[in-house]
Amino acid sequence: MKEGFRQAMAWLHTWAGLLFGWLLFAIFLTGTLAYFKDETNHWMQPEIPARALNAEASLTLAQHYLQQHAPDASRWIIGLPDARDPGLKVRWQQSAAKPGERGQFTSKILDAQTGAELQLRESMGGEFFYRFHFQLQMPYPWGRWLSTIAAMVMFVALISGIITHKKIFKDFFTFRPRKGQRSWLDGHNALGVLVLPFHLMITYSSLVIFMSMVMPASILASYGTNVRAFYDEVFPASNVPEKANQAAALAPMAPLLGKAREQWSGGEAGWVSVNNPGDANASVVVSRSGSDRVVHDFGSAVTFNGVSGQILAASPQQPLAMAIAGGFYGLHMGHFAGPVLRWLYFIVGLAGTAMIGTGLVIWLGKRQLKHARSGVMPFELRLVEVLNIASMAGLVGAVAVFFWANRLLPVSLAGRADWEINAFFMAWGLSVVHAVLRPGRKAWIEQLALAAALFAALPVLNGLTTPYHLGVTLIQGDWALAGFDLTCLATGLFLTWAAWKMWRAGATARLKKTPRETARPITLEQGAN
Amino acid sequence: MKAKLAALPMSYRLAVTSRVLAAVFGGYLVAALASVTLTVWLPLNRAEAVVTGMTVSFLVYLVAVLWCFACRSAWSAWVGLLVPSVIMATVSGVARGLGYA
Amino acid sequence: MLLALLLCYAGFTALCLAMPRHHDELLGGKPSRRRRRGLVLAGWLLLGLSLWAAVSSKDWGLGLVDWFAVLMVSALALVLLLPYRPRLALALAGVSLLGSPVAAWAMN
Repeated sequence: MKEGFRQAMAWLHTWAGLLFGWLLFAIFLTGTLAYFKDETNHWMQPEIPARALNAEASLTLAQHYLQQHAPDASRWIIGLPDARDPGLKVRWQQSAAKPGERGQFTSKILDAQTGAELQLRESMGGEFFYRFHFQLQMPYPWGRWLSTIAAMVMFVALISGIITHKKIFKDFFTFRPRKGQRSWLDGHNALGVLVLPFHLMITYSSLVIFMSMVMPASILASYGTNVRAFYDEVFPASNVPEKANQAAALAPMAPLLGKAREQWSGGEAGWVSVNNPGDANASVVVSRSGSDRVVHDFGSAVTFNGVSGQILAASPQQPLAMAIAGGFYGLHMGHFAGPVLRWLYFIVGLAGTAMIGTGLVIWLGKRQLKHARSGVMPFELRLVEVLNIASMAGLVGAVAVFFWANRLLPVSLAGRADWEINAFFMAWGLSVVHAVLRPGRKAWIEQLALAAALFAALPVLNGLTTPYHLGVTLIQGDWALAGFDLTCLATGLFLTWAAWKMWRAGATARLKKTPRETARPITLEQGAN
Repeated sequence: MKAKLAALPMSYRLAVTSRVLAAVFGGYLVAALASVTLTVWLPLNRAEAVVTGMTVSFLVYLVAVLWCFACRSAWSAWVGLLVPSVIMATVSGVARGLGYA
Repeated sequence: MLLALLLCYAGFTALCLAMPRHHDELLGGKPSRRRRRGLVLAGWLLLGLSLWAAVSSKDWGLGLVDWFAVLMVSALALVLLLPYRPRLALALAGVSLLGSPVAAWAMN
């Protein structure tokens, strides 16, 4: 650490960014993909038909289904279809065999218009990316801890990066392409500065989301061992009446939706859960969907008596502190975003991913210059190079493989959903092996080209293996499916361009024996170390 | 890199390790104590004060980490974290003693 | 949201032109002092207007989120276009300015 505040911050930015860069790249990329979680689900389980929305009719169908299939369950949970998620989801919990035990859950997805049980291919769908981006496929709670630590490092790297970047306003509109290392740094800075509000929001909110897990000192200080009391005060759950053990018919639930809407001045219901259906003390909890407000409120629900349909309780207004935390949660998740805003979320998420990626490339590029003449790379630099290739090009390819597995694995395969995920990790692992075996630039080009081919061919594969190809979805106007295919195609084209750029840069570098960039390394303002 | 790393004196490496440890653990201690102190002294009801304290604590953590790498020596990094820690621990302890929490 | 986007893009272009280096690249020659001041003023005014456009069509919460989104994306688009298609970048700013009254009219 040399003298000076800015140099110290540059040092911190460089090393914090390097150590967590690969993990953060994966978190940002999968998190960005999770903004289209429902659309991805729809593509990966295209058997769920998109129907015109009618919450009342769907709820009635779900009630009929559950009364036939799970009359003795202790709890029903019904997820109503919405514009992005067309399936009618039903879940029920068996009454526990012994007191104190938790009953088994069963989940089904129904056709929102006919109420028929749908035969679906097993798949985690977009849920996989969503889960991965904060659980990292690790056992609870390690993945959550690691991703939250990564978020804190990101926060430090962001702020130290801003401090390091001295010409933040003078360079605001600056991007100079085709200038080697200079262009990477320009790109890194531009992506960081122009999308800064998103970076700060997404990073800080991810800390707030897991704050009671990672920063529980104040809970412990105020509530001692009675942590339960804290959660009860923060998420005031409506008191559900005890089972009366007296049979009584459950009232039709559809009219309750209208009553709930009145309480929320027009807000829509997302979930309906029924406690002790068929009992005289049955209760129905209608929970508000988060799709019409920025501030997320976990406990926003209206509780009804299941037999008479009377309102038992409505959750109170959120206090300011909880509304602020809920606001961060809502901003992070973006449940409220319509199609346009959702695309903008996706674009700025990709910009964040690219910022991390360019940072990793710069770290290596700057140090490689010193060894350009000898042609021998020290072990550390080679390690970083391999990790860069596998964590970026390899991950993108693995995402494509995940989609391929969804279309190619037989529907009857046992543990099919797990095999999709296995395919993802096997592909990612192979990319590490490949990056170790091949020289750096060749590995980049080959992996990018392979990923490009896989993505570009996805719409074709989709057309060959399902009846939901572009020719059909475009005409029907099923924009979730068509949009997915088209996005894959665009991704394929972009990756082809990237591979071609890499190839051409390599060709010109070979042509000119002593490229100017290597002869005269530019001094970079971030180069304190 | 290796040659450069090997050229760095042992004292430098120890100092960097010390700063990293101060930033990670000392910083966490300061952040946690800040959240407790805020919770104790904020004139809000219990749950709201706890949520506010937790929300703000990450900003404190950030400042603590930046301090650890910006200050002149590894010793001052530790001192700069431990002094506020002791103060905050005392302040929230006093509040407890007075029966605020 | 369209109106906010158009105003944001035009505003950023004005702010960009107010910088001598970019003014030189895009229009040739350094801007005069008065011109620079005018461009800065116009740029901030347009950004302010776009905030108003975003917030007035929805409530504050959703409007602010929309505004930040178009702010970031329009700046990204401008910076990406400038080195590759500088004329297009300028032309788009002109189109944005001309199109914004139409968008405003369509919004009501």
